[in-house]
Amino acid sequence: MPESEAIRLAQQGSAPAFERLYRLHNRRVYSLCLRMVSNTAEAEDLTQEAFLQLFRKIATFRGESAFSTWLHRLAVNVVLMRLRKKGGNEASLEEMTEPDEDSGGPRRDFGGPDLRLSGSIDRVNLQRAVEQLPPGYKSVFILHDVQGYEHNEIAKIMECSIGNSKSQLHKARMRLRELLHEAMRDKAREDRKAATDSRGGED
Amino acid sequence: MITGRAVTTKSNLKAYWVTAGLLVPGLLLSSAVYAGPIRHEQHFKVTAHPVITIHNPSGLITVKAWTKAEVMVISMPATTEVEVDAEQMGNRVDVSTRALSESVAPGDMKADFQINVPEDSELQIHNDAGAVNVSNVLGDMNVETVAAGVDLADTSGYLTVKTVGGSFQCSRCAGRIEVSSITGSFRLIDLKSTHVWAQTSTGNILFNGEFLPNGTYSLKNYSGTIEVRFSPGDSFDMSATSLKGKVNNEAKLTPSTHEHHFVPRWGNALFGTFNQGRAKVELTSFDGTINILKRD
Amino acid sequence: MASDDCKRFLNQLESWTEGERPANAGAHLRSCVRCQSVVADLSTIQAEGRTWGAQEAEPPEHLWSLLRAQLEEEGLIHATEADGKAEVVAAKQGWFGGFFAHIPRPVLAGAYLSALVAVCVALSGPLSKPTNEAQWLEGTEVATSPLSAQLNSFEQDPITSSRDLNPAVTASLHENLAVVDNYIALCKKSVQEEPQNEIARDYLYGAYQQKADLLAQLHERGENVQ
Repeated sequence: MPESEAIRLAQQGSAPAFERLYRLHNRRVYSLCLRMVSNTAEAEDLTQEAFLQLFRKIATFRGESAFSTWLHRLAVNVVLMRLRKKGGNEASLEEMTEPDEDSGGPRRDFGGPDLRLSGSIDRVNLQRAVEQLPPGYKSVFILHDVQGYEHNEIAKIMECSIGNSKSQLHKARMRLRELLHEAMRDKAREDRKAATDSRGGED
Repeated sequence: MITGRAVTTKSNLKAYWVTAGLLVPGLLLSSAVYAGPIRHEQHFKVTAHPVITIHNPSGLITVKAWTKAEVMVISMPATTEVEVDAEQMGNRVDVSTRALSESVAPGDMKADFQINVPEDSELQIHNDAGAVNVSNVLGDMNVETVAAGVDLADTSGYLTVKTVGGSFQCSRCAGRIEVSSITGSFRLIDLKSTHVWAQTSTGNILFNGEFLPNGTYSLKNYSGTIEVRFSPGDSFDMSATSLKGKVNNEAKLTPSTHEHHFVPRWGNALFGTFNQGRAKVELTSFDGTINILKRD
Repeated sequence: MASDDCKRFLNQLESWTEGERPANAGAHLRSCVRCQSVVADLSTIQAEGRTWGAQEAEPPEHLWSLLRAQLEEEGLIHATEADGKAEVVAAKQGWFGGFFAHIPRPVLAGAYLSALVAVCVALSGPLSKPTNEAQWLEGTEVATSPLSAQLNSFEQDPITSSRDLNPAVTASLHENLAVVDNYIALCKKSVQEEPQNEIARDYLYGAYQQKADLLAQLHERGENVQ
């Protein structure tokens, strides 16, 4: 059943149509939720909530945007609302990024030229670093670099401008770079300490 | 003509009451026949960088910036069978027009809007027919229309505009501008923009603004005229190609010899730098005319 | 401590990662190891993100059962006559309708263009001029003929030619479609006359992209009426 037909039948309450829409999009939505919250139980909960909201509102879908864009917008909003509640304050999406001390450019942190990330990061490091990002940066990074959305789609999903999406992505990547470099330095320090301790033990 | 203070006399009073006696029934009669446009006004408190989205089939949309931390939406639907929904979620205000019944006449699916927003607002506007006018809003903007013309003035940010047949005018705008159309024409006047990408098929393109250092300006059409006006102080690297049409040039360009350029078999092309060549200007037409003229 | 050139480069870094290549930025990058390190790191992060994204997680099966139970409880699900006919209707729509249904409009138009360009680059031939010209022409034909046929068939779809709530707008879309069709015909002729003219080919592909976009808009409006 093509998606357009499933939408039409779901608007009439057809169970197979609902299931068809769920099967078409569940992996992508679940992956998105899991990457945002890094907890399977919570990701399941959020996925269920996103689809529930979708199906409750499906009668109002008028086709102004693609269905998947609409669904992923719902899913991102569900996740961000949950993160906001956890954070304890009603920050707007625009505010859920780190304030810049100057005119809004990225922090000027180079790292030494010999500390390139290539070869030193893997999915686990990256996931840990992404978890530390503010929600706004995390959303754009996951939607663009991980889930593969283009900026014009992210702009519709996050209801921001294309320029904003590009700017947030750049800031997210620069922040990730800082976090990954810090992690590398911490690890190097621990390795050195472990080596010193073991030499001290041998003395 | 009355000059000085008005003096009330018996004859004046009589004239006054006669006039009132004629006018009032006339006013009541006219109001019974023509109820005037339906007008709704709503206010939404917002914080910094609000997002305002407008989905409207047809009508005049006017958006202006003001200093209040508030979005004011004045909507004027064409008939009582059309309703405007405006709802706020957090720092976002969504405005949309819908029909209350399936029998609404196509010409009535229309609403006009007057919207005041904080100047740092982001706007997303879909208006198929009519017109969209935005002034003094400095946030990013995305405007899509079919036949509606779009007129932006004194805006900034990242502007993306897409029309099918609607025209586009942008005056004194900064930031980045990307505009595309099929039959719409563009007028880009006194821009302070570092990045302009404009593409139309059969429309004309007029660019009369600064070429900022390190800016990129790409203007492309299929047929019609592309006209750019330059000042003696401008500095740009120019590439102008018309596959089957003419290129008329008043700028003294230093030919560029280090790059390979495609030269069309039947049309015209020119490549070169003006002064230090700090901005990059690319003009392309299929069979239209390209005019590179001195600004008056 | 970063030099002024490095600071200037960092200010341009966002545009750089989006593909813009200002000449002065390129010159600085070639000579600055620090900035090379930044660019390399950002590429690594992007690449690692893509690798992560390639693995999609499967939600547990019980999630659908829970969801369905909730939908039934809220009365959002009820059996309709249409359920039995759904598969039959689906079979009639064909791959193109399904393609449109799944892919967001700007992505669809962009995907066509990218596919066409990729096919033509792949078909570019050896160095001799007559052979090269013939191959370019053949490559363009191979890329565009099936697309042209599919776009034309989609144009005939009753949904695409439906009137929507605003016939004046639909009429404008159809008029512009005629303009684009004319434009495609003229571009094709130009490509036949100069097969290696990249600008003419670029115009042709752009025209197909515009046609796909217009048809998508018409289709969306037609669906609103169904």
